[in-house]
Amino acid sequence: MNSKKKMFMYGGVIGLAAAILMRFGNPGNMGMCIACFWRDIAGALGLHKAAVVQYIRPEIIGIVFGTFFISYLTGDFKARGGSSPLIRFILGFFLMIGALVFLGCPLRMIIRLANGDLNALVALAGYVAGIFVGVQFLKKGYTLGKNYEQAKIAGFLVPIFALVLLIFLVVKPAFILFSTEGPGSMAAPVILSLVLGAVVGIALQRSRICTAGGIRDMILIKDNHFLWGILGIFAFTLIGNLVLNFGKINIGFVDQPIGHTDFLFNFLGMALVGLCSVLLGGCPIRQTVLASQGDTDAGITVIGLIIGAAFAHNFGLAASGSGVPTNGKIAVLIGIVFVLIIAYSIVADQKNKSAKKSKGVSANV
Amino acid sequence: MNEKYCVVTFETVQQSLVFEKHLQQNELTVKLMPVPRQLSSSCGTAAYVDCKDKERIKSLCSESNIIFDEFFELSQDKKNSWFLNHLKK
Repeated sequence: MNSKKKMFMYGGVIGLAAAILMRFGNPGNMGMCIACFWRDIAGALGLHKAAVVQYIRPEIIGIVFGTFFISYLTGDFKARGGSSPLIRFILGFFLMIGALVFLGCPLRMIIRLANGDLNALVALAGYVAGIFVGVQFLKKGYTLGKNYEQAKIAGFLVPIFALVLLIFLVVKPAFILFSTEGPGSMAAPVILSLVLGAVVGIALQRSRICTAGGIRDMILIKDNHFLWGILGIFAFTLIGNLVLNFGKINIGFVDQPIGHTDFLFNFLGMALVGLCSVLLGGCPIRQTVLASQGDTDAGITVIGLIIGAAFAHNFGLAASGSGVPTNGKIAVLIGIVFVLIIAYSIVADQKNKSAKKSKGVSANV
Repeated sequence: MNEKYCVVTFETVQQSLVFEKHLQQNELTVKLMPVPRQLSSSCGTAAYVDCKDKERIKSLCSESNIIFDEFFELSQDKKNSWFLNHLKK
């Protein structure tokens, strides 16, 4: 099997899992959504008080475990970190704000599109635009710096966090909140979610699929290797929905499950997600996978996602089916400007450094 | 099946772009690609080059202060899967 077919099939595994999970109870077009699921977990932990989106999503636990075990087995598991953790936290934070204004991570954008939600098409244009802007910074020398080997225990922290979440999910202590209505109350059976999550984690870890990476490589180096994975997700979600969720397919803009029709902020929300993803070196799903295979910088990014979700609901930034609140619009605009300032400062800093270096070389000569 | 090919890895994307431009100017084979799966579980950018150009590339880069991370010689061994490697251990 050539590498493109392989990527397409790996993407297919993820797409099929999403269709199956929607069939068995997950909210509409939310068979898989990394931003929404981390947001639900933030709610379950009591970090925000939006009563309709609180649940410890077993899919996330499955993805972390699946990635952890396969990477441990194959030798890909390495405890590494120390590459601008605070900047990554902030980028993760604003990424989540953008995602919750659109209502979905890039993966859910593809899944929404595969079920006929054309708002996702507007969001895709925004996502590509955000990635395009991010690529311009990469070309000018943007980098978050090298990472370094860390104590092995550091790499285990995210899998341990997932284990704690699993215990909370099973034991259901009183301090963990579970939605009784709304999207947070809609869920596939725990075992199915866990198993399919693990399968998706394995597929993601082996394939390295990243929604941002696929589009970035097309723009930057005209390489379509990772793009085939994204196409696989789309194609198999579509096929899965045709077979399993035929009655729910709805082609158009209005009356889409957990989505709104604010074109401008669907575009800008996902533009912010695209920009942050490129600057981080991966979209939320990729960050979750990296965090599970020992990358502590990605771990910090995931914490940024969780805290971003908490603030999005506490400050009334997150959108809903009825539209984007004013606070959310302002937050997206602030996010775009702030992230651009960060990227610009890093590029300027890199230029100064290389100028100093070359001066140093000539002075030595 | 045992085809040999060579790739060069970088610390930043910009370094790979500078490297590509410089090799093209010197009419050497170069193509940017995602880092091969067998080298890394990351999804960064690497450059595919001709193995016979190894010494020329190294001297060109050191003359012009072009930074790259590492030079790898890889074989495309179709039977070489992580699972078989694991069994061999």
